[in-house]
Amino acid sequence: MAILRKVKEKIKKVVAPVRKKLATKITLPARRTAAKKASAAKKVPAAKKVSAAKKAAQSRPLVVEEARKEMHGARETAIETSKYFSYAPVKHRRVMPNDLPYKYERDRLVLQVRDPWWLHSYWEVASHTWNSLRDRLKDLFYSAKKVLRVYDVSNIIFNGKNAHRFFDVEVNPDAMSWYIDAGGPGRSWCADYGLKLTTGEFITILRSNTVSSPLDAPSWVSDEEWMVPEEIFGRLYGMSFGFGSNAPTSKVMQERFRRALFSGALSSPGLASMSSPAKKQPKDRTFWMMVDCELIVYGATEPDAKVTVQGKPIKLRPDGTFTLRYTLPDGEQVIPVRAESADEVEERVITPIVTRQTKTSQKMLKEFSRE
Amino acid sequence: MNKGYLCIVLHSHLPFVRHPEHPDFLEEDWLYEAITETYIPLLWVFEGCVQDKVDFRVTISLTPTLISMLTDPLLQERYSKHINSLVELSHKEIERTTWQPEFQSLATMYLNHFCRCRDTFEKHKRNIVTAFKDLQDLGKLEIITCGATHGFFPLMQVTKESVRAQVRVAANHYEATFGRRPRGIWLPECGYNPGDDQYLREAGINFFFTDAHGVLHSTPRPKYGVFAPVYCKNSGVAAFARDLESSKQVWSSIEGYPGDYSYREFYRDIGFDLEYDYIKPYIHPDGVRINTGIKYYRITGPGNRKEPYNPEWARSKAAEHAGNFLFNRQKQVEYLHDFIGKKPIVVSPYDAELYGHWWYEGPQWLDFLIRKIHFDQDTIKMITPSEYLAENRRNQVATPSFSSWGYKGYSEMWLQGTNDWIYSHLDMASTRMTELVKSYPDAQGIFRRALNQALRELLLAQSSDWAFIMGTGTHVSYAVNRTKNHLLRFTQLYDDIRNSSIDDGWLADIEGKDNIFPDIDYRVHQ
Repeated sequence: MAILRKVKEKIKKVVAPVRKKLATKITLPARRTAAKKASAAKKVPAAKKVSAAKKAAQSRPLVVEEARKEMHGARETAIETSKYFSYAPVKHRRVMPNDLPYKYERDRLVLQVRDPWWLHSYWEVASHTWNSLRDRLKDLFYSAKKVLRVYDVSNIIFNGKNAHRFFDVEVNPDAMSWYIDAGGPGRSWCADYGLKLTTGEFITILRSNTVSSPLDAPSWVSDEEWMVPEEIFGRLYGMSFGFGSNAPTSKVMQERFRRALFSGALSSPGLASMSSPAKKQPKDRTFWMMVDCELIVYGATEPDAKVTVQGKPIKLRPDGTFTLRYTLPDGEQVIPVRAESADEVEERVITPIVTRQTKTSQKMLKEFSRE
Repeated sequence: MNKGYLCIVLHSHLPFVRHPEHPDFLEEDWLYEAITETYIPLLWVFEGCVQDKVDFRVTISLTPTLISMLTDPLLQERYSKHINSLVELSHKEIERTTWQPEFQSLATMYLNHFCRCRDTFEKHKRNIVTAFKDLQDLGKLEIITCGATHGFFPLMQVTKESVRAQVRVAANHYEATFGRRPRGIWLPECGYNPGDDQYLREAGINFFFTDAHGVLHSTPRPKYGVFAPVYCKNSGVAAFARDLESSKQVWSSIEGYPGDYSYREFYRDIGFDLEYDYIKPYIHPDGVRINTGIKYYRITGPGNRKEPYNPEWARSKAAEHAGNFLFNRQKQVEYLHDFIGKKPIVVSPYDAELYGHWWYEGPQWLDFLIRKIHFDQDTIKMITPSEYLAENRRNQVATPSFSSWGYKGYSEMWLQGTNDWIYSHLDMASTRMTELVKSYPDAQGIFRRALNQALRELLLAQSSDWAFIMGTGTHVSYAVNRTKNHLLRFTQLYDDIRNSSIDDGWLADIEGKDNIFPDIDYRVHQ
């Protein structure tokens, strides 16, 4: 039994850094810039991320820890880690896998809508599917490019051949997800994941679900019964966005509405209001210091004596000692401490007098360049 | 005669955070803070109005996860400890600030607040959900439900069974809590995907909310913009849209009321400000400084220098802002009434936790607003969506647009480089859950328990909060671990069920930890 336990511990030690590193890797903020196209190209394939993470974790766990510190502030992270990874003993322990599987061995391609312009896709091709393709295509398999073929299937029942148009996105060979710049609000989309052979032929491996991207502006369709003149609708549209009843209905204004809508200024802060204790500091220099003083007044007398401090009665501990703690503002504090014996025969008064005076200065030690 | 309606909606939600295995868990504080700063202060506002015979209507969502935590004996016990420790701390603060009267009066204010919270908590036998229920039974509040664990529906479109399960579990949980079926729902993150309304219909739900562009961009065009609901095509469920003008006034970080210099500064908490040894018993036992809820400063201005908080100034600002809000709504409603030729409904939804927690004076503001609407004017009437639909049976039929009230208005908050990895795993788990339901249409005994627990784990993994947190960058490892742990537990259960080798002891252990939805029936996932 003892040996078994030792083996288990060893396994844990080996596995733990991998797990930590994986968690860290995922926290890395997306470097997705405003340039949408650039972002798609930069997308790191998920497969690469994971394998690289594993290697790094095994060889250099120290670097991992440092990366974590940078991310959150060391202490918070340290606590989170300790509290999460060292459970108090549970009633019924069971050896569980440490991480989610990297693949599920299934053939699946899914499209998701991110916004009117962008789609997200993820996929997985089962090993046996790859194998049979390899057997079938022989050399062509190895020279083929992996491609997402995105079909515009608006208002049709797609049969694989009747799309309005399609475009191809070449993806990294080991990628398992991709953001697609579909660029067409109010359209329906379907995608194939497949191989583009050097002969130009496209071989579909997976076909996705069909999704519809939303409109980014009012519909052109009007209901006869609920018809509304363009001018009136335009004003209503402006008012709905909070621009008041005088908002003109021009293209420029529509653009302004759109910007207001998509800026995120009115998006729900959601849980962020509960979970972000640290204030976001402005980008300028953020150096700061605070100093304050507190005064501890303590003493002891007979446990049954009556004691007042600055005229106010205080409670003694059972052994007759007492401690008081005050913030000490600038100026003089006269603190008479008076004790009276329980039989009201004797009195002692001790009066500390404390003065606080604070001086401050602030200067730049050298030129600071904003670059 | 009123010229239009105001529908205030407060969305109250916290993810299910309950860790019996750890005596002091940082993320559980979200609940305790929200109880002290938001839920109980809102109850005071509503109960005060009832007592003073001030008529009002507020629509409030209490999510199934939040209700589950508020009614959980372990968390109730922990809250009781938490509030007692705050009472103790504020006593110490009163002493410590003896020579600073401007702070001492604030310490006394907090002592009173915490003691009052404790009284309210105990008065309702530690279950404040019953207090909200009483207000609903009086006809003042309309409590609506939400997705069972706040899963973001637009990103579950390939596993619609999960959308159905989210809605059904929530509706059943609501019925068990409030003694009737829910009439409305707050779609998690206000995320609407065309067609999801049919699952609402199935659960007997009559209305939901979208962000402004959900209805504005619906097909065909909505004749009244966001100022009247539309019925969804096919399902007939009504969609009410958010009015952005009223949102902006409260919510905007630039123009919104909460940024007023007289209001309390959120970021100066004694948990961070005071000397370490003194404050240590009241922060996290591992020594991490956290918010205590005792904050002495007002916003003062843009810089770092802060002046002491003055409750009277803040209070008169709250009154002024309530008056300003009402004035703007009156103008808006009067104009719209003539412009569209019917009584508009202005829907103003907010995160409930904005009130009291972020915006300390928010509950006061709401109190002033309700009272001003009742006493000072006739232009506007407060209304709930159910009442509106009863009065206005004829509404345009349309298909609202995919939308959410998250960052940039669609899915991006929950679908970006930091969190997009979760969806293939969630998709796999949902697919497997559907498969299990098909294979075991009528499981009994330990199989039934395992199947029910599998659905609990799946639902917990689906909380949009985890993806949201991964997207914001604080508490990330917690969110990642929650996602993984629930998925791993699900997968283990799936394998066990498939292999007919369920580990009873382990099952009991995770049933005890993830004990949400005791009456769940796994067969809703189909």
